[in-house]
Amino acid sequence: MTLVALAAAIERGDLSPREAVEDALDRIERRDAAYNSFITVRAEEALAEADALPAKTGPLHGVPIGVKDVIDVAGTLTTAASKVLADNVATADATVVMRLRRAGAVIVGKLNTHEFAWGASTTSEAFGPARNPWDTERICGGSSGGSGAAVAAGLVPGALGTDTAGSVRIPAALCGVTGIRPTTGRVPNRGVIPVSWTYDTVGPLARMAEDCALLLDVIAGPDPTDASTTPSMAEPCLDGIERGVDGLRVGVVSHLLDGVPLDPRVGTAVEEAIGELASLGATVERVDARFLRRAEVVQQLVMLPEAAEAHLPWLRTRLADYGADVRARLLAGLLLPSSAPVTGQRARRALAHEARPLFERYDVLAAPEMPIVAPRIGEDPVEVGGERIAYRLSLIPFNSPWSCLGVPTVSVPCGLVGGLPVGLALTGRRLGEATVLRVAHAFQQATDWHERRPPDAV
Amino acid sequence: MEPESSLVPSLDELRALARAQGVEPTDADLEGVLGFLRTVLPSLRELEEATQRDVPPAGMYLPDPEAT
Repeated sequence: MTLVALAAAIERGDLSPREAVEDALDRIERRDAAYNSFITVRAEEALAEADALPAKTGPLHGVPIGVKDVIDVAGTLTTAASKVLADNVATADATVVMRLRRAGAVIVGKLNTHEFAWGASTTSEAFGPARNPWDTERICGGSSGGSGAAVAAGLVPGALGTDTAGSVRIPAALCGVTGIRPTTGRVPNRGVIPVSWTYDTVGPLARMAEDCALLLDVIAGPDPTDASTTPSMAEPCLDGIERGVDGLRVGVVSHLLDGVPLDPRVGTAVEEAIGELASLGATVERVDARFLRRAEVVQQLVMLPEAAEAHLPWLRTRLADYGADVRARLLAGLLLPSSAPVTGQRARRALAHEARPLFERYDVLAAPEMPIVAPRIGEDPVEVGGERIAYRLSLIPFNSPWSCLGVPTVSVPCGLVGGLPVGLALTGRRLGEATVLRVAHAFQQATDWHERRPPDAV
Repeated sequence: MEPESSLVPSLDELRALARAQGVEPTDADLEGVLGFLRTVLPSLRELEEATQRDVPPAGMYLPDPEAT
């Protein structure tokens, strides 16, 4: 059942919050050994919290939700899938968790992640890999891989992830679910372990765009006590999601279909999805935006030093406890020249200036979310359109531009290649989540890719 | 453009820089960092030359006039 459908069923009294939470816990108990999507399951706490809900709370009344294990839930471990924080018990709820609870949601557990949310495979040395429900020998993407797997497998109807350089969108694409990276600053980061202050954001994953819209409406909004949030108010996402795409202008980012390594089967699926948007009434044009490739290095110059600074106390005392890949990135950030983050931020501003006409002309930009379907666990480099490329490098051109600009991007399922999901990325203007989710919803009303389920999903 | 060798520090220079910040990486760690720097430093230099230095960096802190 989708998140919106489950919330409606609970509201009608078809099932109680306790029954909804028991169902989720039962699915996790029976199935998650195959996926390793949860690091911590809050079975007793979740049932007690479901029982303690007042008669009426909010739009997520009694709905079981999983949150990525970099987001604090009071009294529960936040491990970040790292030995460094293996015994770290959170003392307070993150702001997004407080908002979920206020809306009536029940947090059933903490979801697997790439170590410290910094990597795109979710193969923690300390906690083991999350496995893709479409093929458990394959990765889920990352870093919010546990969130993608748990939703795809039907263990929970919705989950929170975090996204710095693609970490919501990538697992959404590889696991065949819907996930949105909101505008940077639209969702508070307080209580979330940082990767990079100027890039990080929390974002929801669920089966459908309308599920994500509901979750985003609950967790988004200014927090005057949190300097990471923007004071700007934005249009709610669920109201108006039915308005369709008629009259909207969609720019197809050409170089992401024919200028960088891409599995041609993925390209074909994405082209067909874009054709569907045109048939629904959108005006579709190809656009040359090759200047966006500068974002690939700009993001590294800023993100790496910011992450190194955030981790400095642990780098001094726990360096050997990091996994090899994350340790290497953190040390690279520590040892970059001091000019790197300033030059990176300056180039980022110039890039945003150059991108402004794109967002003035188009309501939404369309591109593949990933150049490939999910690789096998441990497969690196990967084959992309006949070239052998490091997995991490293959995905950067598709994700860094939107992270760099801080604009909202949703990944929606748009096809299957060899039985594995493909994601279509739809990117909008700053604070334009309502528009990208509206386009995603229209696409999902006309297609059934989001309804396809992995072989053993429950 | 300067040759790559003049941009990339030596292993000993990297080790000293890490130690100055209280971090003790292994030689293998530093070899990995060197590999990354060989890729990224030329790109950094290109960006330094391509961006106008009078453009304020994004995310610049602007003092709140009411607080000063």
